[in-house]
Amino acid sequence: MSNITIYTPNERSKTGLFETWGIMIRNIINSRDLIYQLFKRDFFMSYKKSFLGLTWIFISPIVGIISWVFLNYAGVLQPGSTGIPFPAYVLLSSSIWGLFMGFYGSAAGTLGAGSGFIMQVKYPHEVLLVKQTAQSLANFLVTFIVNIIVLLLFGVTPSWAIILFPIVILPLFFLGAGMGLFISVISVVATDLTNIFNILLGLVFYITPIVYIQSTIKSEFLTRLIELNPLTYLIGAVRDTIVYGKIDNVGSFILVSLLSFVFFMLTWRLFYVSEHKVIEKMF
Amino acid sequence: MKNPDNVIEVEHLYKKFTRSLKRSLFYGLSDVTRNMLGTNYDQGKLRKGEFWSLEDINFTLKKGEALGIIGQNGSGKTTLLRIINGIFPPDKGEVRVKGKIGALIAVGAGFHPHMTGRENIYLNGTILGMTKEDIEREYENIINFADIGDFIDAPVATYSSGMTIRLGFSIAIHSKPEILLADEVLAVGDLGFALKCYRKIAEYRESGGSIILVSHGLQLIRNTCKEVLWIDKGVTKEYGDAQSVCDHYEKFILEKDSKNTEGMGSIIHTDDKVRITGVEFFNTETKNKEVKVGDPLTIRINFDSQRKINKPIFTVSLSNPENIQVISNYTNFDGFPIDSLEGKGYLDFKVDKLSLKASEYKCTITLTENNDINNHLEWHDKAYNFRVDSNGTISYGLVTPFPQWDLKLEK
Repeated sequence: MSNITIYTPNERSKTGLFETWGIMIRNIINSRDLIYQLFKRDFFMSYKKSFLGLTWIFISPIVGIISWVFLNYAGVLQPGSTGIPFPAYVLLSSSIWGLFMGFYGSAAGTLGAGSGFIMQVKYPHEVLLVKQTAQSLANFLVTFIVNIIVLLLFGVTPSWAIILFPIVILPLFFLGAGMGLFISVISVVATDLTNIFNILLGLVFYITPIVYIQSTIKSEFLTRLIELNPLTYLIGAVRDTIVYGKIDNVGSFILVSLLSFVFFMLTWRLFYVSEHKVIEKMF
Repeated sequence: MKNPDNVIEVEHLYKKFTRSLKRSLFYGLSDVTRNMLGTNYDQGKLRKGEFWSLEDINFTLKKGEALGIIGQNGSGKTTLLRIINGIFPPDKGEVRVKGKIGALIAVGAGFHPHMTGRENIYLNGTILGMTKEDIEREYENIINFADIGDFIDAPVATYSSGMTIRLGFSIAIHSKPEILLADEVLAVGDLGFALKCYRKIAEYRESGGSIILVSHGLQLIRNTCKEVLWIDKGVTKEYGDAQSVCDHYEKFILEKDSKNTEGMGSIIHTDDKVRITGVEFFNTETKNKEVKVGDPLTIRINFDSQRKINKPIFTVSLSNPENIQVISNYTNFDGFPIDSLEGKGYLDFKVDKLSLKASEYKCTITLTENNDINNHLEWHDKAYNFRVDSNGTISYGLVTPFPQWDLKLEK
């Protein structure tokens, strides 16, 4: 007996909050093959037309590292006391920021990634989020391995707690992907909001201790902003876990993580109920 | 399902559309906001600048049957298919679908140009909902049916558009849908492949598959479908037996075309004393601008000449809507020489059994003199319209010779 599917107006809005998550998780599990095929298509194929091929994945992080090291020796950066060489600190922090932006960017591109056949074929679009995230994780991992090698060269041995890495980056994913999903839906109908959001994120970079150390900031106002910024805790926690094997401010980290999780679940639901409505506008 | 035999039931389906881009985006934003707050759903009322792109559409499709959807461009056919496919949600009404839908809306959707044909089979098959095992089982069949030779190992970017369609169609039909939505896909590709597709679709239907066919090719619709839904500007114009709906649609289009072109013909006089005063069409005895296939036809040319015309030649030509001259007859060539002509009178062009295909025709009448077909006195170029009605016959050629068929079997 074949399944009966019924399409009615606003049906998605009428599904319950928890039901939505169940449906989406089931869809993702059922679409493993599709995720793999799309990942393969977009990850490997993007390098097929270049002579250097996958080598490109290594080139950009190495160039990035060289520039930070150069700035350090030129004396432009005024480090405080970090316990590790300052370039290593900046390198690690900025690669974690990069991971966050990767989560955000890939989620923001969720609907865009399906263009080409989103109007032709029916499939659960949440798989695009998984595929996009997998893609940014794959890119990040390469960078990360290069970074760890550089850390070793600086004489920094990562803590054993680095094995907790996959867990401590989860809140970064929730926050980044949550924001990204929101933008993914909004960007179809209002490009302006997306642009504003991207500019704001560029500013958030400067109120997150990445290219400086929080304790060296004298301005009370800035310190306040840095303390209010959830990324201060999320990025700091990942960095501390790798370098020291412990997290400062565990309480704040856990609180921010929980909030990020709730935020993600809500935007996920928003994505589910509205993507339908905005797809028609994807012309 | 209200009827267990049905695979698709569409009830009072409505879909909105906005022509203004900015307004459409604004409504999208407000819909998203409302969804976010979780209150005050879209009640299915039209807002400013919106109109129904589909209005109160109802139909059903039974298992193993074929439904044709016809209508002019922009009438909402593709939107309807997208709603049935679940890509767009309806704004009002309900759509119930039983079984897996395969859509041939744009074949080869999701192909990656840098991947080879083989790699794309896995990608596209998965997008269409096939499992890895399904693809492996059908793999050879897909390649054989697409029949694109060594190109299967080349990147899809190097394919001709025909090859892309071959491969795309082959994957789609082998994805074993229970309901196939085909939107104008069979109109492309070369003839050999098109025939192969028809056979495949026939095979698919014999095995119990249902199909919705959207096409401007009425022949295909008549041959394939038992029932037809005719949509005009989003509204059901007619729904029922394929032959009669197609007939009415054809008539509708022809009338519209002839309205557009009535009076488009040009009349050229070269001699003030000679006039063709009118042309009439007779069906049997009555004057009628509409004649049925197989009936007698008379074209009467009324003339008035105030001088003597030496060795005149009359010609009668008929052109179909594609501007092909279907007939062109000359009095002198047809063994009816006229020595001279003066005064008022008429000349009849008589046919016992009209063998032209049902269509709209434009009639050209000329008159020349001195036995010279280029010495024109009158030239009424496509100046008269008349219509041939199908009279229930089906014929796809330009003419039907009313043949006698005879079957003999060798013992």
